[in-house]
Amino acid sequence: MTQEYKHEQVRSRNEAFAQRTATQIWHEQASIDNPYIAVSALCHGYDLFELMEKRSFVDVFYLLFRGELPSEHESELMQALMIALINPGPRHPATRAAMNVGVGKTEPLHILPIASAVLGGQVSGGGEVESAMRFLEQHQATNIADYFASSMHDENNVCGFGRSYGGVDLLAQELAGRLVKYAGAGKALKWGHQLAVSLEHKGIGWLLTGVAAAALTDLGFQPRAGGCLFQLLGAPGLVAHGLEMAGKPILAMPFVSDENYVIER
Amino acid sequence: MSLSDKTTQSDTAVISYLDQRRGKIVSNTGGWFPGKGVFTHGYSMLDELVGDKSYFQILVLNATGKLIEKPLADWIEALYGCLSWPDPRIWCNQIGALAGAVRTSVMSATAIGALAADSRIYGVFPLLESVSFIKAAYLKSEQGLTAEQIVLETFAACKGKPYIMGYRRPIAKGDERLEVMEKIGQKLGFAVGKHMQLAYEIEKFLLKEYDEGMNINGYMSAFLADQGFSAEEAYNMFAMLVASGVTACYLDTYRRPPNTFLPLRCDDIDYQGAVYRAVPD
Repeated sequence: MTQEYKHEQVRSRNEAFAQRTATQIWHEQASIDNPYIAVSALCHGYDLFELMEKRSFVDVFYLLFRGELPSEHESELMQALMIALINPGPRHPATRAAMNVGVGKTEPLHILPIASAVLGGQVSGGGEVESAMRFLEQHQATNIADYFASSMHDENNVCGFGRSYGGVDLLAQELAGRLVKYAGAGKALKWGHQLAVSLEHKGIGWLLTGVAAAALTDLGFQPRAGGCLFQLLGAPGLVAHGLEMAGKPILAMPFVSDENYVIER
Repeated sequence: MSLSDKTTQSDTAVISYLDQRRGKIVSNTGGWFPGKGVFTHGYSMLDELVGDKSYFQILVLNATGKLIEKPLADWIEALYGCLSWPDPRIWCNQIGALAGAVRTSVMSATAIGALAADSRIYGVFPLLESVSFIKAAYLKSEQGLTAEQIVLETFAACKGKPYIMGYRRPIAKGDERLEVMEKIGQKLGFAVGKHMQLAYEIEKFLLKEYDEGMNINGYMSAFLADQGFSAEEAYNMFAMLVASGVTACYLDTYRRPPNTFLPLRCDDIDYQGAVYRAVPD
């Protein structure tokens, strides 16, 4: 390799970085004699202890991300969604990752970061929720017939909808069917419901990620937040399953035999 | 109709496919068979690789399926060294330092710091874009476009933004690692390939017109393209690229009193949100 190429001299850009980190979410008031110790905390202007006394966890969760307390209808929809997503279930790859952490006797504090990363996948995970939210935002004002009339739209490639293990995910349909009846349900859940009904005979329906995306869209969350929220709301189930396995011997989960291990070569 | 009475309209072929894989692993990579050996991409790891091949030859084999020659593995190892700086101002490294300040395990700190390099603006993720860019640029040059035309065409595709992945760097202009890697490449016997030649021409134009040069990402992308790697292969083989620097930053704070890394007073945070308001019932 010759040395005929002369690169530029390395020099700092001297960019104007912020002197202090700014936030609109949280304000801590310092004590009178130690500037590192806080005596109060405000969440978007509301005192934390007042919130503890007067509002539910669901309300404060919503406040944290949206900046305002939810209406009664929004709170009901949010709570229903949080319960519905609380556990991806023992067959979900994220939960199985959590179980592997537990049964493998990995430090239990690692269950959540490991398993929630798996729950961030582009399939059955947060990545799919984000994509579905963008899809719903783009199309929820379109008439369903008009949507399919466009040659651009392939019914086999509708983000947040599809086949689960080759068929319709009945639990996801049921969940969507219940959520759409909530007073807080908006355009996304209602449009998605119509879409799912029109596709059901073809073995295509809501995916759980699509239901989550629609509800989060109706609750006013941005797509970028949607994927993270899906990870967050599924976290309790991941940790519960991981901890359950942490107390069991390593033999408590299947280990595929050599006879059932096939190398394709 | 209750939920348990509903049908799923399922494709039975999918169910059959899934049933054939229940309790069975089908791998095109390899595996461990107690008493028989460990195999990866057709090689017996313990008989043919461990001890005979370097760790980085094995790393690239696992990441790409390609058993590369030792000089190339040495070049990749040197590149890993270039991205292992123990400076906690770098975002991924600071995660390691913060983790050390609160006493997570070293493995947790290193893994999450390495994960942070899955960033759109620095670290490993940009390789997907930069290798794709130089490969596409080379095809354009084969069709007769000059470096200048390629650059301007790329800017136009980005709504006029003067930006190409691999040719700008946060914090500083210029990249001290290029000359180091050039010397290492020369020492290991690598000639300047076609993609690298084009990368230099692109840098020359960018320096002249925009005062922006090539960074290590652009350099390694051109080199790896010359070595026949795809963008995905490059991304795969550098998955843990920054890990060592993160570990170093973790240990620095781990050995100091807890919670003393860049301590923040309450008023060091610039609160710009709502003023106090009473919580409605």
